[in-house]
This record gives sequence, C-alpha cells and structure tokens, in this order.
Amino acid sequence: MALLVGAAATQPAGAQAPASPDLRIEGHWVRTDPAGAGSFGGLASQIPPAQLTPEAAATRGGGPGRGGGPGPAAGPQPTRPNAAGVPYIVVERPCANAARGNGALLLNPDSGGIHIIEHKDQVILAGERGGVRHIYLDGRPHPPLAGRVPTFAGHSVGRYEGNVLVVDTIGLIPGGVVGGGARTPETRLSERFEVSADGKTMTITYTWQDPKIYQKPHTYSYFFDRLPANSYAYEDWCDAGDPIERQSIVPPEQRR
Amino acid sequence: MITQSSRSIAFWVVWLLAGAILVGVGLQPARAQTPPATSGARDLSGFWELSPDSRRVPTANLIPGITSAVRAERARKDAYAIRWCNLLGMPFIMDSGRPLDIRQGRTAVIIVPEHASGPRYLYLNRSTHVGEDVFDPTTYGDSIARWEGETLVADTIGFHPDRGITAIPGGGYRTATSRLVERYRLLENGNLLSVVFTWTDPKMFRAPHTYEFRYYRLPADYEPRTWLPCDPYNDERTRFLEGTPAGRTAPGK
Repeated sequence: MALLVGAAATQPAGAQAPASPDLRIEGHWVRTDPAGAGSFGGLASQIPPAQLTPEAAATRGGGPGRGGGPGPAAGPQPTRPNAAGVPYIVVERPCANAARGNGALLLNPDSGGIHIIEHKDQVILAGERGGVRHIYLDGRPHPPLAGRVPTFAGHSVGRYEGNVLVVDTIGLIPGGVVGGGARTPETRLSERFEVSADGKTMTITYTWQDPKIYQKPHTYSYFFDRLPANSYAYEDWCDAGDPIERQSIVPPEQRR
Repeated sequence: MITQSSRSIAFWVVWLLAGAILVGVGLQPARAQTPPATSGARDLSGFWELSPDSRRVPTANLIPGITSAVRAERARKDAYAIRWCNLLGMPFIMDSGRPLDIRQGRTAVIIVPEHASGPRYLYLNRSTHVGEDVFDPTTYGDSIARWEGETLVADTIGFHPDRGITAIPGGGYRTATSRLVERYRLLENGNLLSVVFTWTDPKMFRAPHTYEFRYYRLPADYEPRTWLPCDPYNDERTRFLEGTPAGRTAPGK
C-alpha cells in the first residue's frame, strides 16, 4: 500500500536552517496526510464529493480515482501468505503507466516529491515520479482550444497575489477528478499555492469549474511539507526490460 | 584595377555567400528577434535549441583499454535503454533533438528537455556534492553550480555507469568515475548560450575531453511540446529497433 509519508522522497545533504521563514514556493515538497487517513483511499474519502450536474452525473463512470481516472480495481486480497518466491502482484507491463512522465501526477500529487523552480517568466513544477508543468507568468493568454490537442498537464498561466501563486489551467485531457468529479478540455482548474507563515508547509487548493459538469465549484486542498533546502530530486528508475519489475511483492524464503 | 574577370569572380563569390546564408537560415530554428527578457548575464533562463551549426566536437582521446569490443558492448547497452524506454540521462538530454527549457531559480537551475527523461537540476544552494554514502548514482548524476563572473560552472559526479545512454559526443562513455564540468555563458547579447563540456575519467580518457555546444534562443513565447510517447510494448517498434523479421517475436517479449 502506498502511504503518504513525510520526507520520504528526497534526501537531505547536510542541512543549514534558514535564518527567517522561507515564504516562497520554490523548493522541494512532499504531500502529507495531516488527518492521518493512512492511505490514498482514506485521503480520497476526505475530499468533499463533487456536486455534478444531472447530465454529468448520468455520464460519469468510475469512482473517485486518485490518479484522475477511475480508482484502481480491487483485486482479490490474499487471505494467507503466498509461498516463497510466488509474487502477490504480477505487473504485466511495468513502467507503462500512462500517467508516468506526462504531468497527470502533478495535478494530483501522490507521495513522490515535487520540486518547484520560480522564475519571473515561468514556474516549473517537476515530479519525481515523472511529469513537468510549465506555468507561464509572462502575461501570455491561454491559446484557443479549437485545434489544440489536450494534454495531461493542460495549459497553465499564473500570477502572484502577495506570496500566493494563483494558477489557471485549461486544455486538459478528459478524465476523472478526485471526489467524483470530471474534466474536459474546457474545464477550468484554479490552483492556489500558499506557503504557511513559518515556511514549513504548503497548501494547494484546487477548484474545478465547468457549468456543464459542476453545479458549483468543486474545491479541495492538499497539504505538503517543505523538505530541507539542500534536498535533491530522486531519479525514479523503472526498467521495463527487467523481469524483476514485473513482480511487486514477493515473499522471501522463510527461516525454519 | 578591377578587370572584367575579377568582377565576374566577385559576383559569383557574393552570390554563393548569399546562397549559403539563406540555406543556413533555412536549416536553423526560428530565433528571437528581440532582446531577451532576461535580467542580465547571470540569468540563463529561456528556451534554447541546437542547430546544425551548433556543435564543435573533437574526437576523444580514449585509453587503450577501450577496445572495439568494449565499445560494442556499450553500444548494445545504449540500444537497450532506447528499446525499453529507459530514462536516458546525461549527456543525451543536452542534445535530444528538441529545445530545452532552462529556468534559473533561487536554489537551482532546472533544465527541462522535451523528452520523457525528465528534468535535470544544477543546484545553486550547496557547494558540496551529496556524499557517496547517501547518493545512489543516477543517469544525471549530482550537479552543483556556481557563478564565476558571467559564467555558470556546473560540476557533476555520481553518474550511473550503465543506465541510460552513456555515449559521450566525440567518443567514450560515462562511467561511475566520470566527472563533468560544464561552463554556461551567454553570447551575442544573450541570444546564444555557449556550453563547454569537459569530461574527465581515468577509466575512459587519456586527457580531458572538451567540446562545445551553442544553443540559439527561441522566442520568449515559445511553448514546449508534450514529448513523444515511448511504448516498450509496441511490437512494430521493437521489430524495427531490433531488426526482427515481421511475424517473429522480438527477444525479451
């Protein structure tokens, strides 16, 4: 089970505490579970359910998936340990997750670290488990959606309101949204990145708006801990050609 | 005194030069026509692209142990990385065939290729490398950088010896003992980015191997393209890469 744990995704390298709180969003962050839900399912259950239009409710399939789509299928749970060397889970196509590397995880971060670089013209969000989002601050408008190919990261423009980065995104690939929501390329996502007064935590508040899908804006927040300033990004290595990658959990030989 | 024949020669010289310039322009990416929106020579941020005239790469001077058999084995591993859609790492992403988005923040410079290999970081906020006892070698290694005047000097160690594409332009391969020093400097009023790469490795090079890439600045309103998908389970792709005749299963399937 994938748990959200603090400071699991990056490594410090001899820290120096900043003299004053760092209120900027640049740095290394990892999503946390402040309510103690203990699992992605527990976290998802705390997201307020989306208030869908009747039309959207009639067409919306799946559940409140965590990755922007239907939730993972509930496979048979083992009732007793497998024999040594017999895997519980065999991944048919390891490293082939459609979300890997395309930015989808950065709209809905999991326990992998995220790294933010701020520049006056652009903020870049990069995830250890893949994906990069370009948030343009240079005043450019969104492009016309007609003829534009939707992407998992969409098209994002941003501005600062004090220390809060406000990001507006459209052009997303159709799919699910946590809390039972949905999105299309026309759906507008607003995000507010706000660092706490002590500089140690960050809240991202997501608001989805689309009169064809939502009766009212669908809003929820995720919470992040700042990692030490001299952390670094892990490399999320996955080799689809390695047979070991096909086995998720394999019981070891037991001592007798 | 200018003779008729010398005027004719001059005419053709000018004509050929103009043609060469036009051909060159046609081969090169669209370049920024306005001054860059940077805050000075110490900001490398922008969209950058290599052109056919961007590379000056001498042949590397390899140690005698790098035999043709060693090179063949290395080439086989690099082909494996491509075949299985692995992260390809350094030095490949600095010349991946698509523009780079380089953004300089307060704590790091991030180099984002239009490729699934993900971004590379040059950390500005620490002066020492992560200890070997902590850092697991990666395809990018651990990069720290500092300014020397108007040149950003990046130092990288901690490369993984096998993962990704390890081939180095000009010859040789990165290994666990490779060190890369890069010198980034803006030229031509910020419209050109020179990166001088110097690899040292006692297990690969007789002498430091240095080459230079010059990246052209793209217009500020450029927008990176979503990278092309890489599907290691696409049979047609596998047959193409491995030269397997149609109708036969490719190895490793």
